[in-house]
Amino acid sequence: MEEDIKNNKQEEEKSEEKNGNELELCMKKCDEYLDGWKRAKADFLNYKKEEGERISELIKFGNESIMSDLITVLDSFNLGISLSNDETAKKGMMLIKVQMEDILKRYGLEKISVEHGGSFDPKMQEAVDEIVSEYPEGSVAEEIEKGYVLNGKVIRPIKVKLSKGNGG
Amino acid sequence: MAKILGIDLGTTNSAMAIMEGGEPRVLENQEGNRTTPSIVAFSKSGERLAGLLAKRQAVVNPKNTIFSVKRLIGRKFSDPEVQRDKQWLPYDLKESSQGGVEIKMGEKWYTAEEISAMILQKLKLDAEAKLGEKIDEAVITVPAYFDDSQRQATKTAGEIAGFKVRRIINEPTAAALAYGLNRKKNEQIVVYDFGGGTFDISILEVGDDTVEVKATGGDTHLGGDDFDKRIIEYLVQEYKKQDGIDISKDSLALQRLREAAERAKHELSTALETEINLPYITSDASGPKHFVIKLTRAKLEDLVSDFITRSIDLVREAVTNLSPKGAGMKLEDIDEVVLVGGQTRMPAIQEAVKKLFGKEAHKGINPDEVVAIGAGIQAGVLQGDVKDILLLDVTPLTLSIETLGGVATPMIQKNTTVPTSKSQVFSTAADSQTSVEIHIGQGERPMMADNKTLGRFILDGIPPSPRGIPQIEVTFDIDANGILNVSAKDKASGKTQSVRIEASTSLSKDEVEKLKKEAEMYAADDQKKKEMIEVKNQAESAVYLAEKSLRDAGDKIPADIKTGVEQKIARLKEVKEGTDVQVIQTATQELSQELQKVGQFMYNNTNQPSQEGGEKNPEGGEEQHDTGSDSNSTSS
Repeated sequence: MEEDIKNNKQEEEKSEEKNGNELELCMKKCDEYLDGWKRAKADFLNYKKEEGERISELIKFGNESIMSDLITVLDSFNLGISLSNDETAKKGMMLIKVQMEDILKRYGLEKISVEHGGSFDPKMQEAVDEIVSEYPEGSVAEEIEKGYVLNGKVIRPIKVKLSKGNGG
Repeated sequence: MAKILGIDLGTTNSAMAIMEGGEPRVLENQEGNRTTPSIVAFSKSGERLAGLLAKRQAVVNPKNTIFSVKRLIGRKFSDPEVQRDKQWLPYDLKESSQGGVEIKMGEKWYTAEEISAMILQKLKLDAEAKLGEKIDEAVITVPAYFDDSQRQATKTAGEIAGFKVRRIINEPTAAALAYGLNRKKNEQIVVYDFGGGTFDISILEVGDDTVEVKATGGDTHLGGDDFDKRIIEYLVQEYKKQDGIDISKDSLALQRLREAAERAKHELSTALETEINLPYITSDASGPKHFVIKLTRAKLEDLVSDFITRSIDLVREAVTNLSPKGAGMKLEDIDEVVLVGGQTRMPAIQEAVKKLFGKEAHKGINPDEVVAIGAGIQAGVLQGDVKDILLLDVTPLTLSIETLGGVATPMIQKNTTVPTSKSQVFSTAADSQTSVEIHIGQGERPMMADNKTLGRFILDGIPPSPRGIPQIEVTFDIDANGILNVSAKDKASGKTQSVRIEASTSLSKDEVEKLKKEAEMYAADDQKKKEMIEVKNQAESAVYLAEKSLRDAGDKIPADIKTGVEQKIARLKEVKEGTDVQVIQTATQELSQELQKVGQFMYNNTNQPSQEGGEKNPEGGEEQHDTGSDSNSTSS
């Protein structure tokens, strides 16, 4: 009889211990799952935010490649205007160029301006050569190809020749 | 957890990627580009520049613009490679006190590690700016042929840049990782990497969780830039033939030619012919000159064929030569081929590789980014993202509910990640309808009869009211185990009925494929059938509305208007049982027009504005459908 009671007690203790272990395991799993869930939720919210940013970037720069291609047409107009001897044709070309520039401007394209003798800025400019000039050494001596910014991003830097000084 | 950055530190360009939401993502640099030139410079104004900005002043500052430092890192000054490169690199090199290489930039001498660190530091800062968080750890890739000293030096460069370098991995291994080839067992993989300035071949063997480099080969001085040079040379020659003018000395003309050549090369990867059109390329005494020339893919391939042949010969050598010069294998032993580097977009290269191995190469991932992506994946494994990834299932087929006319109205579209839940409000199709049958189906066909029925149940006890008035909210909910719960609730009475379907995602692959194929096959027919039903439904609604309007108006409208509407109703009732969509549509339209006369008359003849006009859309914009397979209607 006494032994039975003892056995029962032992079993009860064992069962309690088992329950305790199970509870602990469950609590651990619960924490793990809660953490996973919070993480997933946070990941999703962050993803949504970033996706939103990405979409707005896409809208802003979605037409970057077509803009880059159209810029070469502007180059040809500029060259045509500077090299043509026919004043009427020149004027016509000028008007078409301005018309096109206006349209591109509406879509966020801006021409990069440059100052002869100004200091070289690799953020906006690309140096392609060095020449003897009246300007201080290392400064911009000549613009050889126009540069453009699309919604704040340089899609083509302005190509310049830098001054070597006056050679004297 | 802080992110680990995966970096492809290239000879010409570098790129970086991170793991985000279980997917690798290439990060853009501050200038908004996905690759960064591996160049640093000490500008004439005394500024230290890295990346694109350093490249933009390289021409006028060659002595202080350091590029291709990867060719020098971790090598002894006396190394024949260094001695060879020293001949053509425009900047100054000297032997360091430990026998390594030192590079002069500005007034100071730097080790190759320090220069590489400047590139890595730019990538670090740009990544931090992009992600808005600090990044302290990195995985950096190196060519498979790098020895211990080159690997150690690369690691040191990372540490100088402020990274804890978690791992240095081989570039070809990273590329294989990006294509998931590391999961294959006992496979032999060739990675053909044609970069801007170097051409690398690696033969890898994937074992159990290991990737072993069996052999490497290539040419460290052959790259995509050589292709560009060839095209430019050709164009200069052609122009000389055409107009007798040498434009190679005109920096503006050359600049435009360079851009046009690069564009043409890219275009010829997809088109068979392109036109180089450079108006006003130059001018002489006779006036302005233009340059227009057609360049075909065949001509381009002809111009660079020796480069391609050479690369293929090198691959053959690396695979078949006996160790240590090669892997000592047969070409047919190779199981997978991976293409890396922008130049591998060229169809002739893809063709040549395919011909050599007799199999298609892996090329789905952007070849400029594949190594960075692999590095990002490795970083993800280290930060625990990849290992513990929670695999979420998707619904393989669309789950729909049957609506008026037997149409399958989608509730959850195929490929939606589960768990998910969608609700939509439906209504009744007939007056005083007190019950609706919710018929749940699975499949891509627009008619429910063609899809697989998953279950059906009846929601009854709906208070009798005219058609379209009751609001029955149907909710589809799939849990993570693919168990679908569908419930329907009558908003007015609050009565709810639901069903649980266990096997909504557990279709066999064959079954899914079969259903998808069927959907494609019958797409056109199904569309017509659906259109027909929609037109008939519209006709029925129009008849219902017209009859109701006449009833409501009673004797308030003149007999001629009433007769006109009645005639149109009769006409529509007659044609709507037919099969001519056009005729039914016309009759429906005619009835609607006739019906407007009723409304107009009522407005003109009442002092107070009538409330009846608002009936058409009683739900305030909420989308409503009539549930079709109800117990009162005759629809199938």
